[in-house]
Amino acid sequence: MTCNEIKELTVPYLELDLEPSRVRDVTTHLEGCAGCRVEMEAVRQVLVRVKGMEVPDPGDWFWKQFPERVRQELARARPPGPVRRWKAAAGWPMALAASVLLFVGGWSLKGMLDKELVPAPPLPRAVVEAPQTRGAQPPTAVFDRPQLAEADWQEFWDEDHDTVAEMASRLDRRVVDRLFGDI
Amino acid sequence: MAESDYQLLDRYAAGDETAFEELIRRHQKTIYDLAYRMLENHADAADLAQKTFVQAFLHHQSFKRESSFRTWLYQIGLNLCRNAIRDRARLVHEDVHELPLADSEDIFAEVAGAELKDRLGHAIRALPTRQREALVLRVYHNHAFAEIGMIMQCSEGTAKANYHHAVDKLRRVLVAGEGAL
Repeated sequence: MTCNEIKELTVPYLELDLEPSRVRDVTTHLEGCAGCRVEMEAVRQVLVRVKGMEVPDPGDWFWKQFPERVRQELARARPPGPVRRWKAAAGWPMALAASVLLFVGGWSLKGMLDKELVPAPPLPRAVVEAPQTRGAQPPTAVFDRPQLAEADWQEFWDEDHDTVAEMASRLDRRVVDRLFGDI
Repeated sequence: MAESDYQLLDRYAAGDETAFEELIRRHQKTIYDLAYRMLENHADAADLAQKTFVQAFLHHQSFKRESSFRTWLYQIGLNLCRNAIRDRARLVHEDVHELPLADSEDIFAEVAGAELKDRLGHAIRALPTRQREALVLRVYHNHAFAEIGMIMQCSEGTAKANYHHAVDKLRRVLVAGEGAL
């Protein structure tokens, strides 16, 4: 046998994975070849060292709860049953329908609230303009003119002249004269 | 007499939860050991062992029983290991060819020291996946090459070749390491 042939058979020889006749041939070669003996020893050392590398034991607690962990993960990974499949399939349309209903409901509710908040007779609302910069006209009160035009001031005055007087006190004199000149 | 894995599988299929637990207890350490030696940390090994059993029980009806249940678990576990290693490789590029190799004539009879142990671990990590699988199954799990071939889903000859290449690379890396000491 040549050294190259021995090299090919080194691992099987050490692993006892050779026919007896081949084992005898290799042994005979090794007895007369120092180079191959060293090579054989190096490979044996590799196997010994690799074999000696141990895996740390994670401990009894880990092994005890391991089946339960698998059971839980399995429950999560199982394909959905008939009910879950129906829910999964109907999920998007259901969500869309729910969103539409929510929107429509909210819109209706808003409309109802707006109706309730609006006073029965449209009272005039005063809006004070923001303060002007220096040199500009002093702040003046302005009215929501369309509502004022519709208001029956005579009627308000008769019903609750204190409120009307209070509102008027906050207005510009010229506006008061124009609006309440007849009262 | 203890029930066979096949009998336990039949009981599990019939809804017996104790069979499920018994099957896991029988093989959990083997699969964890395989995963740890391939992935080299507890968290990944525990996760992979768990996934292996989940896959096995999810698809137990597709198990044709042409091999042992344990061999089937090995196949699932190794496939998951390959995926995990592939994912890692996207982040870290490492190959045993990058390690300095000794001249094949440069042989020492003794190898020793912590540096060499580290180097060996590094070299095993850097082995191509198939070679590493063959090494782990042969050295640590004591499988015959015929069974290694079945687990790795290749021929017995391919399994042997992978193993021999792995040992040869480790030898050369170790010898180079000793030369550096």
